[in-house]
Amino acid sequence: MSSITDRARVRAALAAGGQVPVGRRQLLSEPARLVVALLAVAAAVALVLLLTGLRRGLGEQATIYLDHQPPVLVGQAGTRNFLSQTSVLDERLAGRVQRVAGVRDAAPISEGYAMLSLHGTRVLALLVGYDPGRRGGPWELAEGRTPRAFGDLVVDEVLADEHDLVVGTRLRFRGEALTIVGRSRGTSGFMTPLAFTTRETANALNEQPQTATFLLVTPAADVSPAALVRRIDAAVPGVAAHLRDELVTRDRDLFVGAFSGPLAAMIAIAAAVAVLVIAITVYSATRDRAREYATLKAIGLRRRALVRLVSFQAGALAVAGTVLGVAFAVAGAALVGVLAPKYLIALTTSDALWMAVAALVFALLAALAPARYLDRLDPATAFRR
Amino acid sequence: MTSLALSRRVPIARRQLSAKRGRTLAGIVGIGVALLLILALKAIFAGMETRLTAYVDATGADVIVAQDGVRTMHMTQSALPSATAAAVARVPGVAAVEPIIYKGAFVESVGDKSGIVALVGGGPTPEIAAGRAPRAGEIVLDRALADKLAVDVGERVRVLGASLGVSGEVTGTAAITGSFAFVARPTLARILRADDVVSYLLVRATAGVDPVTLARRIEDSEPLVTASTRREFAASERAVVGDMSTDIVRGMIFVGFVIGVAVAALVAYSQTLTQLRDYGVLRALGLRARRALALVIAQVAVMVVAGFALALLLVALLSVLLPALSPTLVLTLRVGDVVEASAVAAAVALAAALVPMLRVVRVEPASVYRRAS
Repeated sequence: MSSITDRARVRAALAAGGQVPVGRRQLLSEPARLVVALLAVAAAVALVLLLTGLRRGLGEQATIYLDHQPPVLVGQAGTRNFLSQTSVLDERLAGRVQRVAGVRDAAPISEGYAMLSLHGTRVLALLVGYDPGRRGGPWELAEGRTPRAFGDLVVDEVLADEHDLVVGTRLRFRGEALTIVGRSRGTSGFMTPLAFTTRETANALNEQPQTATFLLVTPAADVSPAALVRRIDAAVPGVAAHLRDELVTRDRDLFVGAFSGPLAAMIAIAAAVAVLVIAITVYSATRDRAREYATLKAIGLRRRALVRLVSFQAGALAVAGTVLGVAFAVAGAALVGVLAPKYLIALTTSDALWMAVAALVFALLAALAPARYLDRLDPATAFRR
Repeated sequence: MTSLALSRRVPIARRQLSAKRGRTLAGIVGIGVALLLILALKAIFAGMETRLTAYVDATGADVIVAQDGVRTMHMTQSALPSATAAAVARVPGVAAVEPIIYKGAFVESVGDKSGIVALVGGGPTPEIAAGRAPRAGEIVLDRALADKLAVDVGERVRVLGASLGVSGEVTGTAAITGSFAFVARPTLARILRADDVVSYLLVRATAGVDPVTLARRIEDSEPLVTASTRREFAASERAVVGDMSTDIVRGMIFVGFVIGVAVAALVAYSQTLTQLRDYGVLRALGLRARRALALVIAQVAVMVVAGFALALLLVALLSVLLPALSPTLVLTLRVGDVVEASAVAAAVALAAALVPMLRVVRVEPASVYRRAS
């Protein structure tokens, strides 16, 4: 029979944690179970990170054209966004905007979605018609030349590779014969890969000659874009001038917002899986070692220490699973970049940090069930056969 | 007693599963949630497809005529000279032609709230839920958008800089990508400065004329148009969602599979560890290794089937709850998607059974005679 001094010594040793690493030993006693649990937590964590990254990537890709344009854009009065809405301007308005004090250049473009049919698959692209020699065209060519004549077309190289489009390929689009004269680089997107043609071609496709959808306005030196927006709005009726950055924000909100509901649902499900996996693992390990815990209780380990023991196991699983999950997500994003470059998975350090915090919350939630079980565990169990 | 007799008379798998009900239940929930990932995503995309064709389905047109090569409406541009309508009307078998203008636009309320719409000028307006069809200078909104903008019938909104009065509301056109709004064609033509251009022609066939025949006849008569029957056009619209979501769905199926396998394997392995001594006893009593493995597979299969049923139940529940919370989020469960998810579930069961099988196959009958630690 152990004396009070012996029990106090055991209790002290267990409480110290560092001397008897019970939690660690229990966690490592079944490596196969640990590996499967870690994989499950990591898969859930990776899913959350990849979905979050995909959501951010969608937003970044949606504004890739705007990101390369001057700081002020002018559209039809009432326009709020660059994408997904109509704007029709009489092309003569470009001259009026050009004459506003502080405007260095106002280049008209005619852009809009283009639903291409390639190899029987519908592919959405953003077709930009611009005036050759002026702003609005591709900023980097991988191959070929920029559009010069009616029917010339430059397509994003990722889109081109995916559908075997090369310089010289002829496409029929909305009744017009277009010829690919170049492939652009850095213009890829899942929903909005870019294609460029002359404004004359774009207007002919839309049956709207002598029009533009937007004007790309370059301010003169020392003129602030915000001041120029106010000046244009005041000087030219029937138009709406916008800061490029505001349009970028609105387009991203619009694009990403449309997917927010389903993505949030998927992320919630993945988070629930992570909590569940940690809970199952720790609870199973706790139940399987009921006799050991009962012994620990019998020799004096207190409730708080027992809860700390299961919390440690849950926390360790959550942290290790998160680290592995982040590694999976990084590898997954890199793999997607190679295998399917049209998708951008934009992972950030802050996402990983948030995930780590969330994982610790998951661990606390997951520790509840085994902690409750241990609380009710009868120490006498240790002495039963 | 033979092993065969034992396994026939004693429902071992069921007893093993019910011995640790909490863990079995957790496993079923985990597998169910993993399969829910697949089913919910498919149901969301199927719901999007349904809403995408809500307008096309409601037009009642037998044939839809668009610019050459255009077979879709959503995120698509189509431009036809106005004169094409009169030319198509002269094609034998055409009873009526209604030109429409279709453009993406933002609707803004006075309170500066906004929502994106597919703005349709002309043609039939779907069944009006409140108010009346639009006249010049008026607009009909989907009720979900009207609620979001906090505008009622009789109030005003702005579209592309023009102020329009809300004359009525429709329902059932709102999707996560936006909703439909309806105006008179001259109103939209004025806003867009597009007097001589329309987007599509909605064609009704005379009685007894087959829409497929009429579509071919229109294409033969007008070389720079594409004519599709309403069914063909709707199928093409749905294919837009399908084509654009294929990779995402594949990715989610893979992730759902991995998570499903991990959860199922984890629970099955944990069960097996607890039951190792039982397996030892069974083996000592004459249960063959093959039967022992069958027991493991049976347990995993039962959990996966129950998890699959749970996932179906949850997705059915979500398809009722989500539209009530957000009218733009519609879930539609299709038989093909259920079959696909069940195939994934079967693969999950097989893969998940491997880990515990490897453990059980190493159990020696003699282990039963050793003292438990």
